Amino acid sequence: MMLTIRNSSKLIVVTFVLISAFSCQSKKKAMQASNAAEKARIEREAAEKKADAAAAELAARKAEEDKAKREAEQRLKESESKASTPAIKLGQYFSAISSSTNAASANTSINEALTLFASPETLVLIVISDSGGMKDYDKPTTIKDYLNYLKDQKKNINSVSSLKTDNAGKITELELKKN
Amino acid sequence: MFNNNYKYKFVLFFSLALCGSLYAQSDDVSPERKQAIDSLALEKVRDLSKYISIIGNKKTAFSEATRVMDRAEELFSPDSEMGVSSLNKKEVNYYKVRKYFERLMALNYDRVNIKWYDIHYISDLERQPDGRYVGVVTVYQRFEGESDDGMKYKDTTKKDITIYVERKKTQIQGRTIEFWDVLLGDIRVTETGV
Repeated sequence: MMLTIRNSSKLIVVTFVLISAFSCQSKKKAMQASNAAEKARIEREAAEKKADAAAAELAARKAEEDKAKREAEQRLKESESKASTPAIKLGQYFSAISSSTNAASANTSINEALTLFASPETLVLIVISDSGGMKDYDKPTTIKDYLNYLKDQKKNINSVSSLKTDNAGKITELELKKN
Repeated sequence: MFNNNYKYKFVLFFSLALCGSLYAQSDDVSPERKQAIDSLALEKVRDLSKYISIIGNKKTAFSEATRVMDRAEELFSPDSEMGVSSLNKKEVNYYKVRKYFERLMALNYDRVNIKWYDIHYISDLERQPDGRYVGVVTVYQRFEGESDDGMKYKDTTKKDITIYVERKKTQIQGRTIEFWDVLLGDIRVTETGV
């Protein structure tokens, strides 16, 4: 009887030990599983954060590119509009007339240039000196005579300083200055 | 009291008028402005050089030559004369500038080439008592005429051009514009050579 009890208690102890061992093992496994899940969560969050940052960077880069594109378009628009101002156009005509190799092409450019003016008799003033706030002028002339002067002399030594236009956008007065 | 007030006003007015008059009489052109006027006058001589070359060129159409003659004539003061010399005769003939241009256009050559060079002041523009500036510019003119029948003539002449510069005012579109009027005077031949 005593032997039976002793054996039984041994068995119980062994069983207990075994249960404890199994219990520890499953706890460890659970912990490991929990850790893996946590790690996965952290990695997922990190990946999500990385993706968000990449998306944000992409968006910022796109916004920057769009801005640069808009600015370039604006600059192009401004330079196109500047190139079409009467002063620029006139400068181009002056250059074309003075560098013409024959009278016919010079006359064509003169006639085209005259369309920018209210009249062929439009006043042209040439500033020869602008010293100490005092302007000195050459003898006043007309645009028709000045354009012919460029044709004859083949020298373009004056540039547009200022001009006045009427309601129709035609030039009514031109001031030139020595280059 | 009333009389004193008038006396002060008179003295003030007289003083201002005197100051204004003295200022107007003084040579109030700065060196920078004077240099611009000198350059302007030289530019007019260069312009004349080009006009003469166009008028003399046989390839220039009659209508163009006539227009250019008008422009060239505008550069001169009224009744100015141009000296013409030749290697074949001693004397120098003087013609009114318009007549000179017409003779130049009618020269009996098939090809004419006229070039002015070494254009410079021999006497700087100086202010005269009447307010005008007067100076003298020298130029060298190389003339070459050639005909299809083989006739050729070449010479180089040294010419002195009197320059007059005057401050003038003009009314344009209700505005008073002051400007420097540069006019060329007589052109005298001083040397003629090959």
